[in-house]
Amino acid sequence: MDFYLGLAQIIGVHTILGLSAYVVMLTGQLSLAQAGFFAIGAYVAGMLTVLAGFHIVPAMLVGAVLAGLMAFIVGFPALRVKGLMLVIATLAFGEFVRLFFFNFDYQISKGGITVGPLGGEGFRQIRFFPENGWTSLDVMLFVWAVVIIVMAALWWMDRSRAGAVLRAVGEDELAAQSAGINLTVVKVAAMTAGGFIAGLGGGIYAHYTTHIEHLNFGVILATFAIAYPILGGLSNVFGTLVAVIFIQGVLVEGLRFMGDWRNLLFGALIVLAMNVRPRGLFDERATALLKGLFTGRGHART
Amino acid sequence: MQRKLSALTIVGPAIAAAGLLAAPLQPLAMERTVHIAGFGAKSGVVRSFGVNTEAVMLAAAKHINESGGVKLGDGTTGKIKVSFYDDRCNAEEGISVLRRIATTEALVAVGPTCSNVAEPLFGILQKKVGDDKDTGLQFPVFTDTAIKGGLAKISEWAFRNVPNEMEMYRQMFKWIKAQNPDLKTVFGGVEEDFAHSRFTWYKVMKTRSGDAGYEVLGEAKWLLADTNFTTQVRKMRKAKADVVAISAHPFTTCGVLKEMQRQRVKPKLLVGLTSSSSLETLQGCAKQAEGIIIPTSFAPVTPAAKMAAEAAAKLGGSADLHSAAAWEIVNILKGVIEGQKVMAKADTLKADRRKIRDGLANLKTTGGLLGKIQRTDEGEAVKPYVYVHAKAGEWAVLHNPIK
Amino acid sequence: MEDFLFDLIDLVQSIADGLLFGTTYAMIGIGFTLIFGVMDKLNMSYAAAAIAGAYSSIAILAVVPAPAPVAFFIAAIAAGLFGYVIYLLCFRFIPLASPLATLMATVGMLLLIDEIIVHETDGMPQPYPALFDDVMVEFGPFGLRGDLMFVFAVSVVSMAVLLYLIYRTRLGIATRAVSQQPVAAQLCGIGLERTNAMTFVITGVLGGIAGAMIGAAVGVLSPLLSIPFTVKGLIVTVIGGLGSIPGAIIAGLLVGAFENTFQFLRGVTERDMYVMLLLFVFLFLRPGGIFSPPDGRD
Repeated sequence: MDFYLGLAQIIGVHTILGLSAYVVMLTGQLSLAQAGFFAIGAYVAGMLTVLAGFHIVPAMLVGAVLAGLMAFIVGFPALRVKGLMLVIATLAFGEFVRLFFFNFDYQISKGGITVGPLGGEGFRQIRFFPENGWTSLDVMLFVWAVVIIVMAALWWMDRSRAGAVLRAVGEDELAAQSAGINLTVVKVAAMTAGGFIAGLGGGIYAHYTTHIEHLNFGVILATFAIAYPILGGLSNVFGTLVAVIFIQGVLVEGLRFMGDWRNLLFGALIVLAMNVRPRGLFDERATALLKGLFTGRGHART
Repeated sequence: MQRKLSALTIVGPAIAAAGLLAAPLQPLAMERTVHIAGFGAKSGVVRSFGVNTEAVMLAAAKHINESGGVKLGDGTTGKIKVSFYDDRCNAEEGISVLRRIATTEALVAVGPTCSNVAEPLFGILQKKVGDDKDTGLQFPVFTDTAIKGGLAKISEWAFRNVPNEMEMYRQMFKWIKAQNPDLKTVFGGVEEDFAHSRFTWYKVMKTRSGDAGYEVLGEAKWLLADTNFTTQVRKMRKAKADVVAISAHPFTTCGVLKEMQRQRVKPKLLVGLTSSSSLETLQGCAKQAEGIIIPTSFAPVTPAAKMAAEAAAKLGGSADLHSAAAWEIVNILKGVIEGQKVMAKADTLKADRRKIRDGLANLKTTGGLLGKIQRTDEGEAVKPYVYVHAKAGEWAVLHNPIK
Repeated sequence: MEDFLFDLIDLVQSIADGLLFGTTYAMIGIGFTLIFGVMDKLNMSYAAAAIAGAYSSIAILAVVPAPAPVAFFIAAIAAGLFGYVIYLLCFRFIPLASPLATLMATVGMLLLIDEIIVHETDGMPQPYPALFDDVMVEFGPFGLRGDLMFVFAVSVVSMAVLLYLIYRTRLGIATRAVSQQPVAAQLCGIGLERTNAMTFVITGVLGGIAGAMIGAAVGVLSPLLSIPFTVKGLIVTVIGGLGSIPGAIIAGLLVGAFENTFQFLRGVTERDMYVMLLLFVFLFLRPGGIFSPPDGRD
């Protein structure tokens, strides 16, 4: 049971990470900086619970706010460029954050042992959950409470005017601009929201792995952050969830019985999935089908 | 067309998902089997470690089963069955794998390969045994490879049978000093972004060579995936140290050694990182590595060690300083299972795991392939070791302090 | 004063080494930039395929022993083949309107290529043959590595051949036509798919040479190389200006020299931070790259 609860925690955290990239992607931008914001959330929240004795909720919020603030600050200059230039600019920023934590030492002595981040050796013993008697079930419920809040907020936003504005910018910047939409405001807002969400995810990540180091937040994690919404499709938030379940649940854990073949299949199945479903595993058509099922209209037409 | 494809994409993951649900449920044993799980990296650049550990564990289990098996608490004979899991050297996956192992009938887990997996993994274990307020996982883990200093003290459920670098390098630098009294200075090279190599230079080699009376002139740093070492080696050349100590894994150790050859940096003595006394280094740069001295806790110098190496080779793995520890671990576990009267029944699973943990915690010495292994209160081992050096494309024993 | 002089000599030497090594970055950068120029898409698996080309050559050499230049040649051919396979698997059948799907497919390809290499070699580093690796040309206090000069020369020649191909041959004209006006090019009877496929083969061959040169310069091959070279190659592409071949060449050398300079001045832990800062400076001041054309020109 513990194993499935743990897997559910991992899926939850990666869903949060994927959703942080999803928000930015709605405006037509691809950000590879999400691993950087995730790292900020992880380090800040970890330091607050371990060094300052915070409860996890305020610690995560502070981490997320700082990550969001960082996203806000880099949002302005970064959004001067777009498309692939932005992809690479954000990749560079994400790496910059990782390298910052690689060079970052802040240790204090607590109860006879030194704790805190120590550059390349990482930051160990972030044990808020087990020390405060949280069982795997508690942690899982907590993770999913956060996931549901984030998903609900994004779902609601998508249905409101804000979502329409974001998607308008994503579909056609020129048209959106002529309709009186301030592109910079919209993009920076999306970037900030993405940073905040990634920070929340990072905060949880630091606590369920209990040890973080800069190598956890490299290019691979950044790529996974955008992989989830791309694989899942951008039609709604559930696409990202479907993709995380596909990658973490199926490719990583579900294929374990394949032994040595598992890792070869990992890349191959991503290639296959994109050839077969270029608009995402959970595309507009699947969304419509699902809606049709719920409203009893039978087959939806799109 | 679109319809068919979507049916396919739904069915595909469904089958895999079914596999996900079914995998941890193993068929009920008709005879008494002692399940031991192994885990480590079998993918990515460290794949060879996982492959070797798995082969060595299987070989050790086969050896024990063929010579009578394990005597269980009620007198029945148990046969050891090893299942091995790949953690990709990734922290999240390592945690997930251990949780999965805990759902199986496995009594104990042997692994992981990477220190960056071991550290978070030990963090999710219960810190102090019997502390009901601590909800960490209660499952004994016995590590063969992850070597970064001081990890086992993170949890009382964590044990390691890895070389104690502090002790090995302390003695080796002393020995080198005694052999070559005219060598006075040391210069270091460190793979700065990898936790183990970094720890070993700053906390082990640097301090231990200082203790032995060497003057440490400085260090050159590079990163795990670096390819160009010109500036670092120039710094090394300028220092003109008698001894160069390289704390890096085979890939960059070879890169640096090749650059040293180009810049004609020829220290009187080369010292390497324990983990580099493997086949990888010789495969990458046997010519340049000639003469490098490394302390290691495994070399086929005793009959037992030779037998273990041969048994592992038959199963497609190689026994080296890391994987040979897995042979010792399986044998130590046999002793603990017999000593603690472990039952290996489905309904005694929880108690058996606790017995194994207690048994491991109470050990003061264990047998090993090179000789007796001391165990510390923190769950670490102090293993006998030898000094090897690269000679004509092979690792040869230079000095055996045990004798 | 003398210390200062020593430092100065070391600094100049570092820059020179970096410039020589930078050619490998330049070649990877050109590959990214060419595909981007023609298809407006990113091929993330490019650097991995380049390394895989070099691996193929040692796999073949293990069976049929041959001198180093033959190995380089085999690497180029193998990587050209991989280029075509990548085109088929990641570009050919994915609709043009889904650029994200292509991007993701090439990421999957990157992971797949790396993992195949890991499975074949157990992740162990493999020695790679080099030419002139025991030569050191010395000028007073300075020394230049023979093998790096060879790498530099091979890279310069390959880039020159590439420029000739693109600016002087029918195929090159077709490639450029497709990159500038795909619709008009098709109307003129240029086969879009054939041109795209050829671009992948040509960039693949260049990548194979780059992979072989990386192997020769480093002395060993490891799957560890593919991510750093992907990141550096992308940075080079942006600094040089997306789609600009001369830009990629200059940017490659610049990044090589810059990174070695800061490695010397600030140490290895901060080195890459300065490379990222260099990228930001370019994005800010010259978002179109080094040779960005004046506005309004095609």
